[in-house]
Amino acid sequence: MYQYTEFDRHFVRARAAQFRDQLRRHLDGELPDEEFRALRLQNGWYVQRHAPMLRVAVPYGELSSRQLHQLARIAREFDRDYGHFTTRQNLQYNWIPLARAADVMDLLAEVDMHGIQTSGNCIRNITSDALAGIAPDEAVDPRPYCEILRQWSTLHPEFAFLPRKFKIAITGAREDRAAIGWHDIGLQLLKNEAGEIGFKVLVGGGMGRTPVIGSVIGEFVPWQQILVFIEAIVRVYNRLGRRDNLYKARIKILVKAEGQRFVDAVDAEFRHILEHDVGGAAHVIPQSELDRVSASFRLPAGIDPSRPAATPRPAADTPAAYRLWLERNVQAHKLPAYRAVTLSLKRAGQAPGDATGDQMDRAAELATRFSHGELRVTHDQNLLLPWVHESQLHALWLAAREAGFATPNIGLLTDMIACPGGDFCALANARSIPVAAAITERFDDLDRLYDIGDIDLHISGCINSCGHHHSGHIGILGVDKDGAEWYQITLGGSDGSMLSGAAAPGKVVGPSFAADEVPEVIEALIDTYRRERLGGERFIDTSRRLGLAPFRAAADAVRRATARTAGAAA
Amino acid sequence: MRFIDARHDRWHRIEGEDGPIPHPDPHPDRLLTLEQWHAVRDTWPRGLPTAVLLPNTLDVDTLAADLRGPRPRLSLVVLQFPKWTDGRAYTQARLLRTRHRFDGELRAVGEVLVDMLPLLERTGFDAAQLRRDQSVEAAVRALGFFAGHYQGDVQQPKPAFARDLSTEVPAADSGAGLFAGQGI
Repeated sequence: MYQYTEFDRHFVRARAAQFRDQLRRHLDGELPDEEFRALRLQNGWYVQRHAPMLRVAVPYGELSSRQLHQLARIAREFDRDYGHFTTRQNLQYNWIPLARAADVMDLLAEVDMHGIQTSGNCIRNITSDALAGIAPDEAVDPRPYCEILRQWSTLHPEFAFLPRKFKIAITGAREDRAAIGWHDIGLQLLKNEAGEIGFKVLVGGGMGRTPVIGSVIGEFVPWQQILVFIEAIVRVYNRLGRRDNLYKARIKILVKAEGQRFVDAVDAEFRHILEHDVGGAAHVIPQSELDRVSASFRLPAGIDPSRPAATPRPAADTPAAYRLWLERNVQAHKLPAYRAVTLSLKRAGQAPGDATGDQMDRAAELATRFSHGELRVTHDQNLLLPWVHESQLHALWLAAREAGFATPNIGLLTDMIACPGGDFCALANARSIPVAAAITERFDDLDRLYDIGDIDLHISGCINSCGHHHSGHIGILGVDKDGAEWYQITLGGSDGSMLSGAAAPGKVVGPSFAADEVPEVIEALIDTYRRERLGGERFIDTSRRLGLAPFRAAADAVRRATARTAGAAA
Repeated sequence: MRFIDARHDRWHRIEGEDGPIPHPDPHPDRLLTLEQWHAVRDTWPRGLPTAVLLPNTLDVDTLAADLRGPRPRLSLVVLQFPKWTDGRAYTQARLLRTRHRFDGELRAVGEVLVDMLPLLERTGFDAAQLRRDQSVEAAVRALGFFAGHYQGDVQQPKPAFARDLSTEVPAADSGAGLFAGQGI
């Protein structure tokens, strides 16, 4: 993990002090709500239905045991003893009173954490592959570049008030596990034939009301120049992005509207900065800085990369549950004797991605014991232990099971993504958590889950798409019609992973459904797949081959109510 | 950073009953709109100290010829924040300084709030006319929280990775405990 320097520590403490000053002025009545709003947002503080929500940044998903213990403490002492891990690899609290906000920021700063730019119209916390640095299919470890970009984007003075939020995702692997096509900027690290490292740069992806997949604006930007290239993109966006309409303000709209002119403007800006501007070349990254940051991402002490794999064949009397867990929750590692193990945060009785203070402590203890004190927050809202030796798998399984993290459902239907929805979020049109709970309950039989196989089910409570419904093989979107909750179902979306195919938004399966119809609709879609699948086809393959029609017919067959404004959503 | 008190400002806008006068007479200390400047530019005496107020939608490249040189035709460029959350003028300011090497005064007007000061300073503004209800004292305090930043800017073109950070005084620590224990 990145090791904070004295400069980094002072910086985070300064940010906490600055926030405390702003909060004091707000509570004293000097800083009215609408002016405090943008300031608190850029520190992660929203105002939600019940209390402010705090979104803590977990840069590119990397977390230490020590940090997670502190997050557990904050959950216990300041919240109602839980937190919610998000699709953007962050952690959210829902019940912290605003008057205690500055104290929480100080506690976060104690463990090198903060809420900087987890919200607001600025460059947000950067996300990456949960297997960054350990994936067998990785060409280049993206973490040093993630960190350099994190630092560059942190409190950037020119880009603090963009037309809209701005999200960057980075991968260094062949498979895209970071959904880079869905981001304002998506970066893929490549190594060319000469062994040089550069970035393929995508721009203009995004979810929301108008789902768009990013398009390539740079085939191979040398790594040294990536900050300058991104500066050029963001500057063109800051100058020309629309500010008259919230729904047309993301960069994807500008890229679509301007097409080649946008590309030309970025190229011209890029050249101007490098060749002409005072200090323009100062952000060309020197080898020494890459080396300095990379030193934080060497193998944890005690790991021997040359150790050969000696995976013992599971004994005949191995419990079936353990074998299922090995199959679903354990992934290959670039070091043959090591594994990446996912702690499932998808289980009956708790919302997807939620963890209590006690569970956070237990996960942190597992990381200390089995993973050199390191965890990752995954884009699918689970926790992952990146450094587990194969000889420890059985012991880890026993401990994870005891802590409630061993549900062997990673990648299966109940490993769904869901935003907090209308139960908490002031933006939501409908609730997500009860829908997720009803589906989890209906599909609680493991044999059935395994028979259905790999599938991405994503639920968002509103069009802001925090639950990434557009990229789900099955997507569920909460919509409001005449004050009632309805759900639009989409089919065939993809995040861009190998399983799901090229990134694409799902297609709408007819008019919206009532809340209590949703589990039956999901079941009807699943039954259609099971009936129609050929050979080893997965859900996404069958749905692509057959198209919407048979699925739509099956869904309509279980429709009992129809939205009064039926069809409007389609 | 200089804080401008509009009542004692040397620069004056030239307005009639129907808004800006289309062709103002040459006179020192005139603050012209962009339209006024375009109208008089060709006949305006060189060497006359002149200020211009730019809309935040303007591509500042179009003014390049008026900004260059040891004695640029414009002495003051006023950039606007119609809403404080509209960040276009930060880019204009930075480009005026780093691309056009504008050396004159760069002033922020409009909805200029205390907490914008660090951003203004770092993107090259050297003067700010705070919104009337804002406190200069709080604005000065807002400038003091950070000893240094990661990315380079107009004030400090070098990013952290190109500087010797051991020489940067950690001012943050003195501020960190400022209000601790006051229930905030």
